[in-house]
Amino acid sequence: MRLYEFQGKEIFKKYGIPVQSGFLIHKNDEVKNLTPPLVLKSQLLVGGRGKAGGIKIWDGNTDALRIINELFSLKIKGEKVRAILALEKVDILREIYLSITFNRSKSTPVLIIGTSGGMDIEESVRLNKEKIHFVEIDPFLEILEYQIRFVAKKLNIDNYLEFKNIIRAVYKIFKEYDATLVEINPLAITPGGFIAIDSKVNLDDQSYFRHEELFNKLREEKQFIQGKKYVHASKTKEDTITYVPLSGNIGVISDGAGTGLFTLDLINEYGGKVADFCEMGGITNSEVMLKSLKMVASNQSVKSILVVLIGGFNRMDDMAEGIIKFKKELKNDVPIFIRMCGTKEEIGKELMKKANIPVYDNLNVAVEKAVKKAMEN
Amino acid sequence: MSILINKNTKVLVLGITGKSGKLQTEIMKRYGTNIVAGVTPGKEGKEVEGVPVYDFVEEAVNKHDINAAISFVPPPYAKDSCIEVIENNITFLVLTTEQIPEHDVVEIMKYAENKGTRILGPGSAGLISPGKCKLGVHPPNMYKEGHIGVISKSGALSYEVGKTLTENGIGQSTVVAIGGGPYWGLTQLNIIKSFQEDDETKMIVLLGEIGGTMEEDAAKFIKEKVNKPVIALIVGKSAPKGKSLGHAGAIIEGNLGTAESKINALREAGVYIAKNHMDIVEQIRKIEGK
Repeated sequence: MRLYEFQGKEIFKKYGIPVQSGFLIHKNDEVKNLTPPLVLKSQLLVGGRGKAGGIKIWDGNTDALRIINELFSLKIKGEKVRAILALEKVDILREIYLSITFNRSKSTPVLIIGTSGGMDIEESVRLNKEKIHFVEIDPFLEILEYQIRFVAKKLNIDNYLEFKNIIRAVYKIFKEYDATLVEINPLAITPGGFIAIDSKVNLDDQSYFRHEELFNKLREEKQFIQGKKYVHASKTKEDTITYVPLSGNIGVISDGAGTGLFTLDLINEYGGKVADFCEMGGITNSEVMLKSLKMVASNQSVKSILVVLIGGFNRMDDMAEGIIKFKKELKNDVPIFIRMCGTKEEIGKELMKKANIPVYDNLNVAVEKAVKKAMEN
Repeated sequence: MSILINKNTKVLVLGITGKSGKLQTEIMKRYGTNIVAGVTPGKEGKEVEGVPVYDFVEEAVNKHDINAAISFVPPPYAKDSCIEVIENNITFLVLTTEQIPEHDVVEIMKYAENKGTRILGPGSAGLISPGKCKLGVHPPNMYKEGHIGVISKSGALSYEVGKTLTENGIGQSTVVAIGGGPYWGLTQLNIIKSFQEDDETKMIVLLGEIGGTMEEDAAKFIKEKVNKPVIALIVGKSAPKGKSLGHAGAIIEGNLGTAESKINALREAGVYIAKNHMDIVEQIRKIEGK
């Protein structure tokens, strides 16, 4: 779950990381008694809002409402502006990049600092490697004093104590919130000390079970901004379905990512085009099978459906149950081609036979038939 | 020989009383895997398929000779049970659990590294040495004894290719699925190294997919240290950029993780790049001179 800037900053404040004072303006809020100067920042989950004109400064010489309405009329990378964070303006002497995330290939947390922060951090990493420093953190030892001293030296930090407290706080948030990223970009050095000018915090949805109340609250805030009706997350993991719409006319459902990707390549080889890709996850059940079929079949451009099942964890008797239910419930005439094998395949195939639904054992045969059918229609 | 497991592997099953744990224990046992004990907290005294269940790993190791474990424990309890295994000096663990919080995975991996435990996973389908031992969920009928070592990220793709090889009369020494990422204990490189050292393995089939740089790392190793023939199939060639298609690790971001970069690196290391699963069969036959 990616948090809005204002949500991240609320957490920063709680952990003693200095932020600018300010307030949130919602769309349709009545705005009055504003004191200049103010920095008006669109609250969005996509990156690159500064470049897209999503941040404005109001110096008091123009009409604040006009600027605010201008921001509310923006749509950046498909996301509408529905909230603005109004902040006091601060004098910035220098900007730093600071984040803690995971180095996944090494299975370790990593502290990343840059001697210059700001909008183009990715670009400046590419262009200027010595400007950026990575410090690996042992999850059991956590961040050590010498590591902080090391980065402080690289950054020429004068106020070491204050800096140390910020780094410790960032690590604490990273750990206590089950975050996968806590980023301050930029961390500003001002005449009055450090200030976190922006926040980017990503939380790990997989840790929902130990933060139920907190995650629900944050999700509720997000949905309020997005103008959606609040939906309480289910206690269990919703489901494992990955659904990706594409532009062809064959619907693909698989019970594993590897075979799913492989099937896409095979369809391509046979000259077919995929309309949507639906991967159910290796551990699934008949309900997920049914839901996946409904999702794929509801796509108007789908002319044939290819279901690729090869069960390890996944049981073919469960899958058969889901497919049969779909056939009974929905009077849908999109042709379905099913390849079924693996765990409990004898029972699964028997059920399918009784329901008079053909299944194939060979993947190539199923792919070829699905491609041919889609081309006919 | 085979790699990681063999006829002398004595297995502890974690989460043995759950739905998956129970079914997979039954299938593994029927295949001939020597499962000696199981653990599920609060279920001590029960039996699953004739296998005694304990509350703690320590109790199981005290009563039985155990040298490998497989975990079907759900995500909230995965870290706890992995640490228990590591603490009790079981040196090889197959971790099938997916969706474990990242902070937990990182702690599990660090703890395992400190204590010298090898972990296959998380999110691994396990491995099978046909005719000897099966420590995972590979459908038994898709494999037969032979000399091809198969290493895959995806479980399902390792079934797919195993099935194709077996149907075409080609047997395997060991088939290993390391998991879809983005975190891995044992990597492609680790497994390829074991295959290189294994007398029984004559050829290696590498099943890679888009995302990350693991295939590139493996290519470098193959170029320097592997003299057995290697055949690779990289899937996701036609996948759209910037979208995760199931496996968290299988995503193309910018120029990183494309099929092209992997194929180039492997080809440069002398690896044959198969067009699809049938091409793997043809290439093996060619090398074997049949």
